Amino acid sequence: MKARVLNRDDVLKIVDLLRQQGYDVIAPFRERGRDTFFDTVTDQNRDQIQIHLPNPYYPPKRFVFPPIERLLKVDRSNGDLRIVPTYDVQKRAIFGIRSCDVAGIYHLDRFYLGREFPDIYYQNHRKNLFLVNVACTDPDLDIGNECFCMCTDTGPAAREHFDLQLFDLQRDEFMAVAGTPAGEALFVSPIFRKGSPQHVARRRKILEEVRKRFKPETTSWFSAAIQMVSRGEVSEETWEKIGNRCLECGGCTYVCPACTCFTVTDRAVEANGVERLRIWDSCALGGFTRMAGGFNPRRAIHDRRNRRFFRKLAHYFIQRELSMACVGCGRCAAVCHGDIGMPTVVEMIRHSTAQGKEA
Amino acid sequence: MNPSAIERVVPEIGVPAGIAPEIVENVYLPKAVVLDRVVTEIHEVKTFYWHFEDWAEQRAFKRFRPGQFAQVSLFGVGEFPTSLPPSPTEDDTFFTVRQVGSCTSALHQLKAGDKFAVRGPYGNGFPMEEYRGKNLVFVAGGIGLIPLRSAIVYALANRKDYERIQIFHGAKTPSELMYVPKLHEWERTPGVECHLTVDRPNDDRSNNDRAADRWKGNVGVVGSLFKKPEVKVPVENTVAFVCGPPIMFRFVIQDLLGMGFKERDIVSTLERYMKCGVGKCGHCCIGVAYVCVDGPVFTYEQIKQLGEDI
Repeated sequence: MKARVLNRDDVLKIVDLLRQQGYDVIAPFRERGRDTFFDTVTDQNRDQIQIHLPNPYYPPKRFVFPPIERLLKVDRSNGDLRIVPTYDVQKRAIFGIRSCDVAGIYHLDRFYLGREFPDIYYQNHRKNLFLVNVACTDPDLDIGNECFCMCTDTGPAAREHFDLQLFDLQRDEFMAVAGTPAGEALFVSPIFRKGSPQHVARRRKILEEVRKRFKPETTSWFSAAIQMVSRGEVSEETWEKIGNRCLECGGCTYVCPACTCFTVTDRAVEANGVERLRIWDSCALGGFTRMAGGFNPRRAIHDRRNRRFFRKLAHYFIQRELSMACVGCGRCAAVCHGDIGMPTVVEMIRHSTAQGKEA
Repeated sequence: MNPSAIERVVPEIGVPAGIAPEIVENVYLPKAVVLDRVVTEIHEVKTFYWHFEDWAEQRAFKRFRPGQFAQVSLFGVGEFPTSLPPSPTEDDTFFTVRQVGSCTSALHQLKAGDKFAVRGPYGNGFPMEEYRGKNLVFVAGGIGLIPLRSAIVYALANRKDYERIQIFHGAKTPSELMYVPKLHEWERTPGVECHLTVDRPNDDRSNNDRAADRWKGNVGVVGSLFKKPEVKVPVENTVAFVCGPPIMFRFVIQDLLGMGFKERDIVSTLERYMKCGVGKCGHCCIGVAYVCVDGPVFTYEQIKQLGEDI
């Protein structure tokens, strides 16, 4: 992978370069305090783009897997059926995507494209997507209390799956690392210059320091929890305890950068037209498995919680997708009213198993 | 669930390299079909004969295997998964559907000549080639005969590949027996043992006592047929196909295990809420399996490991 160095003042020129190439550039912005969000860059808001900020709760997943996406348009005029798929092929670049979210998009790649029946809608978004990752190097702005990318091995600086990675070397310098030929192509711009071994050493030193700033309790026991869940060693009682704290809001699944479930629904448009849409769905919701006629094989809340964490942690699925459906972003922990985000669940699983062994 | 058990549920663990190359096929795109005719089977259950508008689609679709399923689109209402009751050895393509929710109700409103849309076939299907040289025992309760019909017709079309073939079909009342003309045909077919039973000889709906008088067959649950002196269910080298309502399934499984069947020699098909049929939407995922791509056919041994209600 090739690397270059650029000045802090030139970092946003990468956004300009991408916009000139026809990309819709999406970047993180900040209102007040923790209120951060991804938005499309325009001439007006371009200067307000934030390099370091708390990761927005609403992940950039929606630019490859929209919350509502039209799949088909159907015309039923004259008793006929004309079924036309509709594809979104807009070129998009996400500037400032965090390393955990890069891993999230990689997981979606594995899930939607890596097995039989690849998803053409996802592919159309993905093949037109350019990712500019910013490594999390500012301990106050970038790293939140809930972050645990250290234990899912997805951060604070992604090692792959981005087109370009920006790393703040401080002293008004950034290092740019190209992850793909498309990313490397940007290096022809005069804003980039060759780096020196000192730059590389600085990068390593900063990264070492940043790693120490994560809360230790969230970075422990993750692999042990995977083992216990995969072996079926977690007791029903523990799942019940977790389930009892679930308010069934579905928030964890909607903010998760690696959740993939959707439902499909038809919407009437005009007299004879129908649109088929796919919409994000959540396994936390009671109707998720309810069949026509009312039979629901998954009734209790704890069955559904069990389902979500089993799906994310079981070794079988990690092997099936060659990627784990948890990327350590900590959003579920931040939004959950019942405090059963991933770190807490991992801790509850560890606690219960430890107690069981002592008894 | 121990890891070795997991591998048995879904033996092939896909390890594809990298992101798939450019896709041309849209797996969510259903193709228009024309409804040819509708046959009422029993109360609220009808069979819909249809064909694709595009005959190339029809030919491609006809490569399905017994036990697979298809996704049926009623535009404006939605899409639902349904078993494929025809055998690929038959000419017709059709579904047999009970009116139970909004989509199936919309399908029941259609008349010959109307158009809807279908995609598929999906799922693993019954491994009929693997069963060559074995005895086949089919146990169907009520509309559980719909998914088994395909395997039965397929086995009879390839009669020499299989040893004994037994069919047990039970319904609540005589008027709720499925595919009656086909049942009569099977009863007359040499080399097929077809046993029917009803829970009650009288019909609640029409209160028709004459129907009760006419019923000369067995009265009792499906399992009661196994105990009849003239019935000898082979246990060695046999595969038992069991489909039916949950309560019937549980009792038949107990009967079969009691007779000495091994859990892996009992197969069934699971139904789940499904939106995509291709392993993406997540609704049918139980345990380590997506029912739509890893199933819907599972052995009883696997079903037990999946750990959810039937």
